[in-house]
Amino acid sequence: MSDKPTRWVGTEVPRVDGLEKVTGAARYTGDLKFPRMLHAVVVRSPHAHARVRDVRLEQAARVPGVRAVACGKDFPFHVGIYLKDQTVFATDRVRYVGDPVAAVAAETPEAAREAAARVEVDYEPLPVILDVADGMAPGATLVHPDLGSYECVPWITPKGGSNVCNHLKVRKGDYEAALRRCAHVVERSFSVPQVQHVPIEGHISVARMDGAGKLEVYTSAQSPFTVRHLLSACFKLPHGDVRVVVPHVGGGFGGKAGINLEPIAAALAMKARGRWVRVLVDRSEEFYAVVVRQGLEATLVTGVDKQGKVLAQKLLYLWNCGGYGGYGVNVVRAAGYTCGGAYEFPNLWGDSIGVYTNRPVGSAYRGFGMQEIHWALEQQMTMVAQEIGMDPVEFRLRNCLGPGKSTVTGQVLDEHSGRIDLCIRKVAEELGWGDGRKEPNRGRGIACAVKAPAMPNDAASSVLLKFCEDGMLEVLISGIDIGQGLKTVAAQFAAEALDLPFDKVRVRGLPDTDLSPYDWQTVASRQTWATGNAVLRAAENCKQQLLGMASRAFDAPASRLRLANGTVLDPETGRSLPFERLVMGYQFDDGHTIGGPVAAAASFIPEGLIFLDPETSQSPKPVAKWTFGAQGVEVRVDPETGQFTVERIVGCYDVGKVVHPSLIRGQTYGGMIQGLGTGVMEELLLDPQTGRPRNASLTDYKIPTTEDIPEKLEAHFVETPQADGPLGARGVGEHTMIPTPAAISDALFDACGIRVTRMPITAEKVRAALQAKKKEQPTP
Amino acid sequence: MNVRPLEFRTARSTAEATALWAEVPDAYYLAGGTDLLIQMRLGRRSPARLIDLKRIPGLSAIEVRGDGALSIGACVPLGVIAAHPEVRARYPLLAECCLAVGSYPVRNRATMAGNVCNASPAADTAAALLALEAAVEASGPNGDVVLPLAGFFQGPGKTVLPAGALVTALVLPAKAAGCRGSFHRLSRRRGVDLATLGVLVGRHAAGGAGAHRVVLTAVAPTPLRVPAAEALLDRQGAAAAAQAAEAARAACKPIDDVRGTAQYRREMVGVLVARAAAALG
Ligand SMILES: Cc1cc2nc3c(=O)[nH]c(=O)nc-3n(C[C@H](O)[C@H](O)[C@H](O)COP(=O)(O)OP(=O)(O)OC[C@H]3O[C@@H](n4cnc5c(N)ncnc54)[C@H](O)[C@@H]3O)c2cc1C
Repeated sequence: MSDKPTRWVGTEVPRVDGLEKVTGAARYTGDLKFPRMLHAVVVRSPHAHARVRDVRLEQAARVPGVRAVACGKDFPFHVGIYLKDQTVFATDRVRYVGDPVAAVAAETPEAAREAAARVEVDYEPLPVILDVADGMAPGATLVHPDLGSYECVPWITPKGGSNVCNHLKVRKGDYEAALRRCAHVVERSFSVPQVQHVPIEGHISVARMDGAGKLEVYTSAQSPFTVRHLLSACFKLPHGDVRVVVPHVGGGFGGKAGINLEPIAAALAMKARGRWVRVLVDRSEEFYAVVVRQGLEATLVTGVDKQGKVLAQKLLYLWNCGGYGGYGVNVVRAAGYTCGGAYEFPNLWGDSIGVYTNRPVGSAYRGFGMQEIHWALEQQMTMVAQEIGMDPVEFRLRNCLGPGKSTVTGQVLDEHSGRIDLCIRKVAEELGWGDGRKEPNRGRGIACAVKAPAMPNDAASSVLLKFCEDGMLEVLISGIDIGQGLKTVAAQFAAEALDLPFDKVRVRGLPDTDLSPYDWQTVASRQTWATGNAVLRAAENCKQQLLGMASRAFDAPASRLRLANGTVLDPETGRSLPFERLVMGYQFDDGHTIGGPVAAAASFIPEGLIFLDPETSQSPKPVAKWTFGAQGVEVRVDPETGQFTVERIVGCYDVGKVVHPSLIRGQTYGGMIQGLGTGVMEELLLDPQTGRPRNASLTDYKIPTTEDIPEKLEAHFVETPQADGPLGARGVGEHTMIPTPAAISDALFDACGIRVTRMPITAEKVRAALQAKKKEQPTP
Repeated sequence: MNVRPLEFRTARSTAEATALWAEVPDAYYLAGGTDLLIQMRLGRRSPARLIDLKRIPGLSAIEVRGDGALSIGACVPLGVIAAHPEVRARYPLLAECCLAVGSYPVRNRATMAGNVCNASPAADTAAALLALEAAVEASGPNGDVVLPLAGFFQGPGKTVLPAGALVTALVLPAKAAGCRGSFHRLSRRRGVDLATLGVLVGRHAAGGAGAHRVVLTAVAPTPLRVPAAEALLDRQGAAAAAQAAEAARAACKPIDDVRGTAQYRREMVGVLVARAAAALG
């Protein structure tokens, strides 16, 4: 970190992938046409919970044009990123409507559909569990009777013989004793339904196993290397014989993290050796068949003293993980070690519990559990403030984290950890908080957000830098540009560190695991930070190579030389050499040549992370970094109909360093709109008896359109440098959607005195709450 | 699932269209396709033959007839209807209802005949067409028929249109011109959403008995006119807004579905009718 003025980082360079996207040159997995490609159809369970007694594929195999059929018997292999609780196809039971049971691949989509219809499955229906309460009830039907025997990473704690796929306990101070000293105690429950990511491009994978046994997969994914790793583990193939390529991706939002359709494509490809097999889900299946965001039931107890300091805090988060917890178990964990949000709670008792049900599979979703817990926690903070008659902003400032304060895991934050207090103050100021303005049916609300990257301690990124003959730099990264602008940011860091004209950098960001450097996953708001760091390191290495050659060419000490706009310059003599004279090796006048093609690889892995204590979750550094922020919202309500309009959202985040002003504004506005969508209109509805989806289409699952975007969206940033951030930057991609629903709910309370605790806040719920309030306090 | 080939035919005249329909079972007329194609994709309809109507001369015209009635051809897209000067000047409620449908691109494709034939209880244009006492003109296997819109809808997806009949035009009578008021609609979001419920309240300039119109959508198996509410408004005008609202609440038969509960719909019928009636002044 330095305060040196920057040339590219922090400026409005054009998006490097803009032209190919707007011209249609960018190719997505669905655009790829392979010779003699087969089309697959997946047979999915119509039952939410059933024993699979038999799967018969004979009739399907006989349909003309069918080249492969597969079911659980053929591939009884487990797969899962953290908890291996899923098989490629259901073997003994199906656990949600949409659970894959078999698949067919044929010469035409029509033949594949016909064959799929002829797959015969004998189901024996089992009791269906849709709610966490039913899943937790004593004697509940077990969704995974074999849970105790599943393989999992050591920091996940499934409880065999129950429906609990993970449980994180956070114990700090003495909650019980502190509660007895409290002047006021508030207990409330909140809930969040399952929602869907709704990316523009749905899930799709194309795979082939060639005659030599090499498996190749083109897929719309956020994590090519993790896909390779998990495919290798699942099918017991050496990593070197699995190749994963990720073309352009049309949005992921977490739904394409980990592994999804790839094992099904691979299984069919193994059965139709030499042929490419394409598997995709249609828009309707996208809603329930692959992954969704978990539901949450939260109960919070908060005890405060008379001065408005929280003394005791208890939190119970029950996560509705759905039929499988492969990825979702880590949401449970993240919600545990972040259970106290942006606040310091000296005495805390927290439990974050993942519960299997027969709902669609919960997985990563932008925010990774944080929007859900902040929905509960932030509303709770306002309610506690109101209970003691304190201003909610003042109350937040009194209890929030900051340098020297200790998180729920006992980590003491330092001056590099980011400043939530500054974010709250900025948002409050922008909203005119405390100005006494009060118009009927209009209200304002504020909520905070915090999130750390939820990832294994060894999650790493690496990059490769190499030069072309004309001095142009190629930057190979394996983070995915899922719209956040990663390629542009990588180019900025490279151009900055090597002082290159910006158009002399090309980022190669469509990773191919055969050729590209390793990267764990594009998740956790980690790419600007992790890939950014790796790019800076590799650039430094290239710089040393260039300076070394130039030093010999000029016969001048390297320490005296510097890079200047694509040249190496000796400021003392004024001599300079353009990169194109150096990058392929430098040739002296007599013909002898030194150096060689300039290239460098570098990596970044977060350092100093310590596992959580298994009983208390205490750890001095459980995560790599925290990003804090706050949002303020203004609403206008029509009390007769309950319809309301979010007129303005103001955000402020401590991002360490603004790397690209309009990209970060885009992330912030996009997050606010996604936050608005989940907050006020999104919910995956299931039939309460059968567990079948009731709104698996864009007709009845609504996300915001341009007409729904608030009139005013505003983004502000604080720049407290991150100690291990590239030029001080830290991640913010997910954080921008975390506080929005809670802030809207607070604004509605301010407007008309009602509170909706079950997301989404629909007009109908607002109206019902207003009616209930009227009944409680009849107007005189 | 039965995978069968789908035949696409383009008709050049109404006679050819009805003949093409009669030739094979499971033939469907295709206008904008904004309902039909979605239903096909969902597997709710599996036509053997689609008969495209958009190349039939005459079905794409809006004309004032000798008696002053306005005839809107079955293939005129909603966006064109809403922008048409005759519609805007004489039947502003119809323009308003057309503009409530979908989005700009949907309205460039979707037709009013399709909206009516699809017979959704939430069909937005049905509100104005019922209020304006429009008629459906159709040409069928057994000759031409004229069907009043009152009584046309029989239930979700059901109409009295004889099998194989081809709607050629929707006709707005001259006497309905100048009916003014407003169409209020609640939906889950602002952009592109089917109505959770819709309420139209209108009044003919002449006033007096029979001047008012109250039509509800998405709160009964069919779009619904509420004569009791109309009569109250005829007698007492906006002063009867609350009673008219009560009458409308009593008349509707909403259900619970993913877009809203029956209770909310019923309450909102009251709120919106009262508002729209009060707005008449
Ligand atoms: C994104 C989207 C949003 C929508 N939003 C709305 C909305 O807000 N409000 C609303 O009311 N609707 C909405 N719809 C539904 C649809 O757009 C309308 O019902 C539209 O008016 C249908 O007209 P069409 O020309 O597309 O009909 P088509 O789909 O072509 O036909 C519909 C049905 O009518 C039959 N048919 C069509 N023309 C004739 C004819 N001349 N004679 C006999 N039968 C015929 C067809 O065989 C078919 O069964 C929406 C649809 C989409 C895709």
